[in-house]
Amino acid sequence: MQWTALGLMERQRAGSKGTATVLAALLSSFLQAAGVGALHSSLVAENGSWAAEEAQGNASMEHTFFSLDYQHVQVPFEITLWIMLASLAKIAFHLYNKLPSVVPESCLLIFVGLIMGGIIYGLNDKSPPVMDSDIFFLYLLPPIVLDAGYFMPSRPFFENIGTILLYAVVGTIWNVFGIGFSLYGICQVRAFGLRDVSLLHNLLFGSLIAAVDPVAVLAVFEEIHVNEKLHILVFGESLLNDAVTVVLYKLFRSFCEMPAIKTVDVFAGVGKFFVVGIGGVLVGLTFGMTSAFTTRFTKDIRVIEPLFVFLYSYLSYLTAEMFHLSGIVAIIACAMGMKRYVEANISLKSHTTVKYFMKMWSSVSDTLIFIFLGVSTIGENHEWNWPYIFFTVIFCLIWRALGVLVLTFFVNRFHVNTVTSKDQFIIAYGGLRGAICFSLVFLLPDFRRKKLFIAATTVVILFTVFAQGMTIRPLVDLLHVKRKRESAPTVGEQIHIRFLDHLLAGIEDISGHWGQYYWKDKLEYFNSKYLQKFLLREYDQPKSSIVLLYEKLERKHAIELAEAGQLGHAPSHPSLLNSDRTVISEKKSEDALCPDGLEDIQEILARNLYRIRRTGPAYSRHTLPGETEPVEQAQEILILQRRSLRVDASGSDGISPRKEKICLPPPKDKIPPKGHCFL
Amino acid sequence: MGGKKPTGVETKEGITDMLFFFSSVSHSQITRLYSRFTSLDKGENGTLSREDFQRIPELAINPLGDRIINAFFPEGEDQVNFRGFMRTLAHFRPIEDNEKSKDQNGPEPLNSRSNKLHFAFRLYDLDKDDKISRDELLQVLRMMVGVNISDEQLGSIADRTIQEADQDGDCAISFAEFVKVLEKVDVEQKMSIRFLH
Repeated sequence: MQWTALGLMERQRAGSKGTATVLAALLSSFLQAAGVGALHSSLVAENGSWAAEEAQGNASMEHTFFSLDYQHVQVPFEITLWIMLASLAKIAFHLYNKLPSVVPESCLLIFVGLIMGGIIYGLNDKSPPVMDSDIFFLYLLPPIVLDAGYFMPSRPFFENIGTILLYAVVGTIWNVFGIGFSLYGICQVRAFGLRDVSLLHNLLFGSLIAAVDPVAVLAVFEEIHVNEKLHILVFGESLLNDAVTVVLYKLFRSFCEMPAIKTVDVFAGVGKFFVVGIGGVLVGLTFGMTSAFTTRFTKDIRVIEPLFVFLYSYLSYLTAEMFHLSGIVAIIACAMGMKRYVEANISLKSHTTVKYFMKMWSSVSDTLIFIFLGVSTIGENHEWNWPYIFFTVIFCLIWRALGVLVLTFFVNRFHVNTVTSKDQFIIAYGGLRGAICFSLVFLLPDFRRKKLFIAATTVVILFTVFAQGMTIRPLVDLLHVKRKRESAPTVGEQIHIRFLDHLLAGIEDISGHWGQYYWKDKLEYFNSKYLQKFLLREYDQPKSSIVLLYEKLERKHAIELAEAGQLGHAPSHPSLLNSDRTVISEKKSEDALCPDGLEDIQEILARNLYRIRRTGPAYSRHTLPGETEPVEQAQEILILQRRSLRVDASGSDGISPRKEKICLPPPKDKIPPKGHCFL
Repeated sequence: MGGKKPTGVETKEGITDMLFFFSSVSHSQITRLYSRFTSLDKGENGTLSREDFQRIPELAINPLGDRIINAFFPEGEDQVNFRGFMRTLAHFRPIEDNEKSKDQNGPEPLNSRSNKLHFAFRLYDLDKDDKISRDELLQVLRMMVGVNISDEQLGSIADRTIQEADQDGDCAISFAEFVKVLEKVDVEQKMSIRFLH
């Protein structure tokens, strides 16, 4: 109805004024109340004049049908339109296939934001609304961190927890002090006119610019596929350094306001760090356990089960923020703590709902953050002191690289699986800054040089997201390719290496490769004795998705046998094969050692060999855990194994793709997937 | 580490015996692996059966899962005790630097490069004739590869592998040929896990 109203208005006022009116009406929905008063009054005036004309007996019947009351719905309307814009932008990017592979999504979104900001600035002739720090920290950030914490693969995370903590805590502190002090050194240079920026201010700035941002890191690492360990290192670091950032930021800020600083205060700061970190974890775990306990009783009201997950997580975040603890650490602890119990208690559909909603919310948040980042960049908030900005960027890069090098040197002395230099490069180069820095800089107390910091932060963020974000993928590929060209592995080598990898993965699983195995064992013991009884509705072993899959297969074994006819039957159905594959097999029979055949074989192997557990992204922003390739591979392997067992059990089937001699005990009621021996 | 049911191995003699047998596996490594052993041993009878291994979920989706499990069990037996468990796992200890320079007179430690490769070789070679025949290679390939590859393609891959490695013309890969194929690969690093971080 409102669009009809606008249409009528357009007809009413012909010419350029009409277009401007429509445009203004459209754009008014993009502006916040503060900046839009003028336009609003004009709209009301138009409304009023429209009504006035109506009163003059034009079409009095229509008066009551077409009225425009924008202020009534303004806030939700604007919010929805922003979210709509974000989502439409996302669709637009993915429509054009090539774009996401060249330019990461985050860059494109910032670009859109820049355009929007430009439009608003041009029309309104004053700065567009800056992203409110409250909105960011209270509404936009929690969904993303919750998503990250909930889907965090806990085994690699805890396996590498030492390294992650080292990078997060020591690395961040190193960066903060490094950047702070070097910038102070730059400020001393008389030529730049920065003498009045004190050391404390520089340290404060350093504390907010040094932190790696999980949102940006996630966004970029989606595009490049690194191995699980590396992914978890960078990702875990970006999440956990929040605690350090919070402490240092608040510390330096309070120092700025204090007249004199005593050593006691410094020690208090250090102590505060532990309080913030551990307090955050405790708050998170408390809420996590409460959530698990609550879901124990939701058997009859399945519909609101997903709500509890979100409510408790959000509460943990807010509670931690209330006490000035680290909200991010709290929400992660909550999500990781409650996950296995909640998943056991809630129904399958609730489970899917939880997963989908989380992904949806974090996706929307993510998009909005980047767009707002772009919008807020335009405007008069900046003081462009180019030397300072330039050196900030340089120092961020240098200190991060140094920090990673030094820390990795220490890390590698304790682990067999070292962090290679290629990994180190990716860790150092992948230290992207994002919206957290941006919000923190706006939260700074107003002092003379605040705009300088804002400008520097903006440039650093834009630089890291655009320059580093866009080039990291080609660089990774380049490093990959370089490795390959050194020694092209023969087919035999490839196969045997993959064989060894699978073997090692299996041995690791058998030997229980958690580093701190003692603690895990204790935790498991504690879990099975006490926690499970308390928190689980049915006192059962919480089932992993693999075990659930096993059971599903058991129930549907009749269908499986029917499927077995189609699964491995590629050989006798030439129509199913692609034409190039038949060509390959023909070529093979001619000359087995011809080099062309080698490439085809390599290609076939690369495409079809089962991946080992360690490779592949453990966490993905856009896909649910149940829909990624490794799980399909797992299902395939399971189906093949069970099919072969069943085939041999029945014995009479003509289909026997496995040529091993397998002897089975006499078939029981429940066909056991075990107890076979090899000859 | 207390709190576990004591069996013969936990005694001082048992551990010293282990230490001697497995040449400088450390005490803490043994106790750590022992606690893993007991946690796998649901029947609490001091030995592991195949079911105990198959209960490990990641192993179920490992393409080579069954063969790896089988490698733990001595010929024809269904139970493996802790010594057997340790013996198999001892192959995967990393090679320390100080061991490399040890004298060559003593028996070769289980985690030498040659023994590691021998372990892997035995996983291929089911009929224990010290050769990987085309059939055995095909079986392993079929396990490692997805369902989209036809038997002919697999056969040609196997043929190619054998042709590349085979030097004495018997259309099978002997242990020496296997070692030669992998000479450029850092087997010591690949086939090692640290049991204590």
